[in-house]
Amino acid sequence: MTIIPNNAVRLFILLLLLSGCDRGRSTCESCHRGIEKTSESHASCISCHGGNDRTKDKDTSHRGMYGRKNPAAPETWEKSCGACHRYQLERVQSNLMHTNTGMIKNIQLTWEGNDPRLFATMQTKTFDAAGEPLQLAGVVGLNNLSGELYRKFCSQCHVGNETGDVFAASHAAGCAACHFPYNDRGTYEGNDRTMRGKRPAAASHALAPLPGNDVCFRCHNRSGRIALSYQGLYDGNNSLVPTSGGKPGPVMISGGRNVVQIAPDVHHVAGMECIDCHTSRDIMGDGYAYENMYLQTEIACEDCHGSAKSPPGYAVITRENEEPVRESKRYKMQMRPGMQMILTAKGRPYSNVFVADGNVLLLGKKSGRIFRSKVITGTPEHTIVGHRRLECHACHSRTVVQCYGCHTRYDKTLDGMDFIKKRETPGRFSETEDYRMLYPFPLALNQRGKISPVTPGCQTFVTVVEPDGTLSRNEYVARYKGKPQLRFAPFYSHNTGKKAVDCSECHGNPAFLGFGQHVVEGGTIRGTLICEKSADKPLDGFLTMREGKVKAFSAITRENSRPLNGNEVKRALALNECLICHEKAVDPIYRKRIDYRALDDALHRRLLDGSRSR
Amino acid sequence: MRLMMLFIAVFLTAAGPADARGAENCTVCHRVTLAGKHGKLPCLSCHGKEVRPSPNPASFVDNAAGCTGCHRGYGGMAGHVMATLSGERGFVQRTYGRHDPAFFTNNCGECHVRSCLDCHGSDGHRIVRPDLNACLSCHKGYFTGAEYSGRAPREEHERYQRGVEIEGEPYLKMLPDVHFEKGLTCAACHDMASFLAGRKSAKKCTGCHQPSRKVLEHRIAAHLDKMECYACHSAWAPQEYGTFYLRFTDSTVQNLYRLRDNNGEYVKSVYLKKQDAPPLGVNGRGMVSPVRPEFIAYYSHLCNDRPEGVENRLLAAEWRAFFPHTVRRGAPMCDGCHDNRRRFLLEKPEERIYRLREDGMSLDSFWDRTGQRVVNGSFLDAGRYQEMAARKPAYTKGYVEKWKSLVNRVDSSSSR
Repeated sequence: MTIIPNNAVRLFILLLLLSGCDRGRSTCESCHRGIEKTSESHASCISCHGGNDRTKDKDTSHRGMYGRKNPAAPETWEKSCGACHRYQLERVQSNLMHTNTGMIKNIQLTWEGNDPRLFATMQTKTFDAAGEPLQLAGVVGLNNLSGELYRKFCSQCHVGNETGDVFAASHAAGCAACHFPYNDRGTYEGNDRTMRGKRPAAASHALAPLPGNDVCFRCHNRSGRIALSYQGLYDGNNSLVPTSGGKPGPVMISGGRNVVQIAPDVHHVAGMECIDCHTSRDIMGDGYAYENMYLQTEIACEDCHGSAKSPPGYAVITRENEEPVRESKRYKMQMRPGMQMILTAKGRPYSNVFVADGNVLLLGKKSGRIFRSKVITGTPEHTIVGHRRLECHACHSRTVVQCYGCHTRYDKTLDGMDFIKKRETPGRFSETEDYRMLYPFPLALNQRGKISPVTPGCQTFVTVVEPDGTLSRNEYVARYKGKPQLRFAPFYSHNTGKKAVDCSECHGNPAFLGFGQHVVEGGTIRGTLICEKSADKPLDGFLTMREGKVKAFSAITRENSRPLNGNEVKRALALNECLICHEKAVDPIYRKRIDYRALDDALHRRLLDGSRSR
Repeated sequence: MRLMMLFIAVFLTAAGPADARGAENCTVCHRVTLAGKHGKLPCLSCHGKEVRPSPNPASFVDNAAGCTGCHRGYGGMAGHVMATLSGERGFVQRTYGRHDPAFFTNNCGECHVRSCLDCHGSDGHRIVRPDLNACLSCHKGYFTGAEYSGRAPREEHERYQRGVEIEGEPYLKMLPDVHFEKGLTCAACHDMASFLAGRKSAKKCTGCHQPSRKVLEHRIAAHLDKMECYACHSAWAPQEYGTFYLRFTDSTVQNLYRLRDNNGEYVKSVYLKKQDAPPLGVNGRGMVSPVRPEFIAYYSHLCNDRPEGVENRLLAAEWRAFFPHTVRRGAPMCDGCHDNRRRFLLEKPEERIYRLREDGMSLDSFWDRTGQRVVNGSFLDAGRYQEMAARKPAYTKGYVEKWKSLVNRVDSSSSR
């Protein structure tokens, strides 16, 4: 009689065990007591971590785990996250943040390490933008200075690699890089006592389904520094003042850099986060391997604000399994069939931007706040005929961070950490810089043939120290497009202002055209901040004008990009002759092509001559 | 020995001054070769009496008695600002000196002229005219001089320590002054007479140049009447925005400050350095002139790794009207001044880029005059700025003509 209930209890327990959802009874938690629940839907330890949650012996239970601590790292992500999230994993595997193909390609192009092959952080079989099969070679095989630079400098920000010991810039490997955020010190601060204080580790074991700005900041605080500029931070001249409690300040970030407060991006002030504009396809990829970030990015200002001619486009959700419905599951408000979803520049729906009552509304993915987007279509400021080629951010950037003169030394007498090979090898990089600035900023044609801010990308001067201490290169300027020249890159600084740069401020200051800071002597625009390599070329620009002759001496990277030519410079400057009286964008002269000869007509001559007698 | 000295003295007296050099006994011991203009002079014409010769006859301690015997009147140099540093001394007294009485002695004494030889060749037996380097040994960094040859101070962080050096300090390469390019040294404009007269220079621009009426800007009366030539013709100037002196007492945190010259009690840093066209104000003689911070001074005293007293204390927000030695034939376009509020420290809050208050720096903006002053002049009256920014018919006409003159020269077929 007594046996039967016992058996029934045992059977019941066995059933519970097999079901795998009896979280409370896993032996993992008898040691890792108090550990945060990953999420409601991620209840079982072993389904993510592997191992054995039925034995109390530490070694036995840890045997067979997917990685020592982070199952989401590329080595094991197929078995862990990828077992359920196949769609997301395959996207991430071809995603630029994982492959870094764009970074490597651009280093190769600008450091003379050109190679017909495309590289990735690891050998990858994927599909290119056209959907054709694509083989990306492992960067471990790129045996030149470009490969060294990537592996020893740039690869720290590769999503597939953990960075564990850099203040304010550490992150996990793989999916956990974004979804299990590290804090500034990369230290676990949760309730699991066996782990508390250990590093490098995520700050908490709770999954962050919607990563905050702090996550993006871990990597996007160097080079273009968009995570800094967006939040109104500037690591500028690294002066380490004002001090903070006796230490360098006001706020320190990675690499011994201090950041000061500048005007933040208007979207940041409003309360929007990185992921409120950037879709999951921007961030995690869309399954195709792109060669540059601007090709993977699918969003544009015009999506929400409209273009000069067309208001924002939208598509109605017709099925229950469409991406906006699925992706908005964790937002404060869910998208439903019937809603009019705003489309990205690639024609795919946002999961948080929609049309309601004739307004374009954006839902803060984490905050749940609703932001109304101002549509500019048809407004006089945005329908200036001569401005048809302008990117929105040509006028609406408050500042554009510009690092002039990057002097890179590669010293073969010293060893440096290769973050891909994961060991020290001969050759260490170090950098010094000439000058940093925010405003004004130069403009040039970008890959879309549009006028965009550009920033040095890069003005690299390379010095190579051979093992015997001799210099095989000394302040060398690499060849780009067939000749030694420095390079600027089209760039959106993410420091957007509601108010645009004034018409006269831009047209009246040739620095915006790429002449750098200067004085005007007759028909000569003479730069005042000079490149050390030349007698008279500006360091902070790429154009010179000598006796009327406009000459570009630096390239704009990317296909179809170039500095403005003589004709364009002439027209941009000539507009000042109109602007002095025709100040407002609403003026009818800006509704058609400017007639630069109008000043010679009787009316203008009378007006101008009349002004003398007045 | 004493006997020998007596013998020499008697012999000298007997020989008399008629053949002083032949009669001197100094060279018996002092094997000195004289060179230069003073090469033929007897020792004692500089060193004074043989019984008690002056070891350092050019020293200002004795009003350079060895030199002023001939160069009469030049004793006044001992009272010149280069010797007294009265300006710098006064600034320190009302700022850092109130927190540390030894500040001036420890941080500013280096460039103090103490002797004629500081400029006229360091070897008194080879006296020369001062060359450019003689001036640059003090007139370096932020102190007018290095910019003349096209050099601007770099930022203070280790990252920026590279490039050409003068006196161990690295500089940015800039466009030099046109007079430097033509081979003129400092002495072409600055001479002893002007120093003694308390003037900064012997020549003014108009001493050599007459503003040509062919130049549009020169035909505008207000430009010539109310502006220094160098208000337009200074191509650029070094500008320090937020000069910090950090004082460390028993503080290991000092090692965290990876700044140039971090090896003494004080470490200097600057919130921001610029070297573009400087802001404009009004100088002591009522003319529009370049102005720059000298200094917007901050102070933190760090004791045992903690701030002692107020951290980042703003001690002064002082500007000076000055003459950047970066003269060029060219000038900015009209917009550079007439449509540039920032250049007159009239920046609007919505134009503000750097948010100083949010970092605890007790100023709204470096380019907002509120809470700041010009010590040797004033900021341009806001009403005057409004007036010059107003687009009156005469301005419009000149503006169009100016831009036309540039645009018409641009070769539209030129590109690469």
